Amino acid sequence: MTDNTTNPPRPDRVTLFASCMVDQIAPHIGERTVDVLEYLGIAVDFLDGQTCCGQPAFNSGFRSEAYPVAARFIELFEQVEGPIVVPSGSCAGMVRNHYAELFREDPTMVERASIVGERLFELTEFISRFFGNAAITGRLESSATYHKCCHLLREIGVNEAPVEMLSNIDGLNMTPLERADVCCGFGGAFSVKMPDISSAVLDEKLDNIEATGSSTVIAADTGCIFQMQGGLRRRGSAVQVVHIAEILAESLINTSETSSLN
Amino acid sequence: MTDRAKFIANVTNSLGRIDVLVPTAPDASTGTAGFDNPDAIKANADRALADAEKRASELTGLMAYSAASAGWNVHRAANPEDAAGLIANICERKNAQSVLRSTHDVLSQIGVDVAVTSTGATIGITEHSGENSSAKVDQSKATAFSADIGITGVDYAIAETGTVVLHPRSGLSRLVSLAPATHIAVLKPGDVLDSLDELFALERNDFLNGELSGSLNLISGPSKTADIEGTTVTGIHGPLEVHLIILE
Amino acid sequence: MKPLTVNFRDKAASTLKDKQIQQSLEHVYTGFFQGRLAAAGDTPDWNELRTKGKAIKDHTIAHLDYYLEQLTDNVEKNGGSVFFAEDAAEARKHIIDLAHKRNIKTVIKSKSMVSEEMGLAEAMNDEGFETIETDLGEYIIQLADETPYHLIAPAVHKSRKDVAKLLDDDFKEGDPVPDATELTMMARKKLRSVFERADMSVTGVNFAVAESGSIALVTNEGNGRMTTTVPRVHVAVMGMEKIVPSIQDLSTMLRILIRSATGQRISTYVTMINEARKSDEEEGPEEFHLVIMNNGRQKLLANPQMRESLNCLRCGACLNACPVYRKIGGHAYGWVYPGPIGSIISPVLTGLKDASNLPNASSLCGACHDACPVKINIPRMLLELRWRTAEGSTGKNERTSSYNERRIWGLWRLGMMGRRRFDFGARIASIVLRPLAKNGWLKKAPPPVSGWTSTRDFPLVASRSLKSRLHKRDRKAKP
Repeated sequence: MTDNTTNPPRPDRVTLFASCMVDQIAPHIGERTVDVLEYLGIAVDFLDGQTCCGQPAFNSGFRSEAYPVAARFIELFEQVEGPIVVPSGSCAGMVRNHYAELFREDPTMVERASIVGERLFELTEFISRFFGNAAITGRLESSATYHKCCHLLREIGVNEAPVEMLSNIDGLNMTPLERADVCCGFGGAFSVKMPDISSAVLDEKLDNIEATGSSTVIAADTGCIFQMQGGLRRRGSAVQVVHIAEILAESLINTSETSSLN
Repeated sequence: MTDRAKFIANVTNSLGRIDVLVPTAPDASTGTAGFDNPDAIKANADRALADAEKRASELTGLMAYSAASAGWNVHRAANPEDAAGLIANICERKNAQSVLRSTHDVLSQIGVDVAVTSTGATIGITEHSGENSSAKVDQSKATAFSADIGITGVDYAIAETGTVVLHPRSGLSRLVSLAPATHIAVLKPGDVLDSLDELFALERNDFLNGELSGSLNLISGPSKTADIEGTTVTGIHGPLEVHLIILE
Repeated sequence: MKPLTVNFRDKAASTLKDKQIQQSLEHVYTGFFQGRLAAAGDTPDWNELRTKGKAIKDHTIAHLDYYLEQLTDNVEKNGGSVFFAEDAAEARKHIIDLAHKRNIKTVIKSKSMVSEEMGLAEAMNDEGFETIETDLGEYIIQLADETPYHLIAPAVHKSRKDVAKLLDDDFKEGDPVPDATELTMMARKKLRSVFERADMSVTGVNFAVAESGSIALVTNEGNGRMTTTVPRVHVAVMGMEKIVPSIQDLSTMLRILIRSATGQRISTYVTMINEARKSDEEEGPEEFHLVIMNNGRQKLLANPQMRESLNCLRCGACLNACPVYRKIGGHAYGWVYPGPIGSIISPVLTGLKDASNLPNASSLCGACHDACPVKINIPRMLLELRWRTAEGSTGKNERTSSYNERRIWGLWRLGMMGRRRFDFGARIASIVLRPLAKNGWLKKAPPPVSGWTSTRDFPLVASRSLKSRLHKRDRKAKP
């Protein structure tokens, strides 16, 4: 059990923000996220009206389109109390770091965004902060390597915590990834608008992945996951790219201790 | 309006102002030392020198280490004769024909002239002729470019970075430590400052007192470049080989 | 230098295919990038130094007019001359006129990106002055008639064989290629006689110190010392932002500049010039001229969003950290400044419309921000410029987005403004794409994302959303 004196008081209820990509393209990641949170003894609410945080349009420079979508996000999520958890570092970064930029002409919106942002956490950040990196001890026989998604690393500041979490899973043979903190080349619309450059950056990442000999790549952001999996498939590689929520959840199923933490 | 006034006015307007706003003494968050008062500046300089004296042997040891890391050939001489002997050895090894030196006191103290001439090389001193003609300048340049070895003392050294500090002036030319293929610098205990902070504290105090030299050279190893395939090569426009002789 | 930013895509594409350049660009990571990390790790208060450096630059730029006045007064007090150049053409003309007036024959240059903005070496050679670059990397690309590939390693893209062909008069195709040491010695020999006969130099400025009217130059080769010593006329050129207030500030700035640039604790030479040859010196220039250039920097200064870019020390750390730069190299950026810093200043200095690709050539990974010695938030400014090109936020004439693209994002917005339409759109996409997919992945994605599948498989939209799945799960769980 983790030492509770070093962590802030544990919430027993959170609201899940899926992110548009998890919601409509990779919903299994959302389900595994819920599994992990419930294992930790947390009740998970889902706001039916949620769509997107607005990042794709904002990053492409279309702020007039991003603005109403982001405002709608705030309106929706400011109605709930308690922590909001999202399995995406880039969405968390958008709300916490970029909403102030987007809303900069309207100080009221900036304030409202800040209030929501203070209770919004990326998944691994949330677990690490409130439960500690040893909170989930499961079992999963696999060889894997961990890619450090850029926004989670540089905007949210989560670096080694996920690696530590994964080290607590029995049977999971982790090999460090060479240049783990170098971008996979996704970058949202960049991956589509400049596909040759995006793929050149990806190729280096995939070469480093293949060099580890791992069967699995673990990451924490779906954009990166699609970029890497899409590239590996195109190479004819059998390497699977999965979200860390999937690994954590699957490791729990494999242990006899399937009851929740408390 | 003069060109200058127009240019500055343009900058002022770009900053959203009509007149130049003089910055007043700010809080520490502006980072610059520009608002330190003269007493503070003098105190920093005094502290730098006191530190150099008090910790002389520790700083000399640190300098030996950092200078070696920076690419100096570091030699420790137990006494002036040893130092002279080391210099003579270098002259012989390099087959030096002509040697040029500065007028740093330490050089005459170790008897450098005899040491050099004993190897068959000639030794010239970068004394100022008293003239300022361009002919004299050309002659000075030619002498430096044709010298095989340049020998100086040090004005300061910096332990943080393995640096020898020289202030070109009468008796210490700019080229004596630059043009010859080999440079030898002789350092005495007490010459070494802790870091760049101390050096610039001293320079700044000199400036306040109107005593700043015309130029300043920080030398941290032999000249080098990595412009070809990222391979570091020692020896391009400055000396190929530099020696630091630490006199105990 | 004439901007070629409009050729970005083609140049990037051809560089990606050039195996030799890709190999050369590895040095940027293994040498410079890892060098900086090691040096930063070795410096206990590294982050505090960066914070301090940022504070010094923020303050200086916020009072740039004041410090320019102070710098000018002090340079003139020391006997130097200051020329204010509104643009590159004015600066170039002034320097060429000066060379004529002083009967100059041979001009030596040390590295200066500002002089590249002026295309100075080429212009002076055209005017009949023998003008030679003395920094080895600059010398190599001068011989190759190219522009710099990197801020501090101009010839980083050249192989040893490339260099041999340029430097070694005796080298023929098929000969064994001389090693780097041999080639460097050839350059030393060639340039030695140039140093001896040069009568004018043009150098850059790493830092101009306002309180004393001094300039500081950082070099490893010794050419920074040669150029400021041997000729009778010394001209230093600087962008108007390259000022620090005090001599004492140099200790902080030199630490963060040099460790970030190459990973060295200090460059081999740091040269501070306070005035031209003093009467008690027997070498040194007779005259010191400082050319302070604007060339569009006022546009960066005037825009509070872009002003921070003027804090740049030109160390190249952002280039070394950038996964895009490391693949497309320096020439793709089309002007003097490549990499992340180039992506934000080149468009403003040379015209956003032609350079609109530059702020978009980024995955927004943030490595540049992490690497910057003065913590410049480059991603924030990339996003700012994207807003300008996408929607013409500061003027419709800057908008480069196509009608289709604007409509697509309009549709995206509509789709995101309600859950039912969000679900509906996703389910339609899922149904339409399913027949084309294999194991949940598409080999050919539809527009607007068709660019993806040129090199990667694209994931299929799910048949049921997370919302639907969680509802089903809840219904199952309820007793």
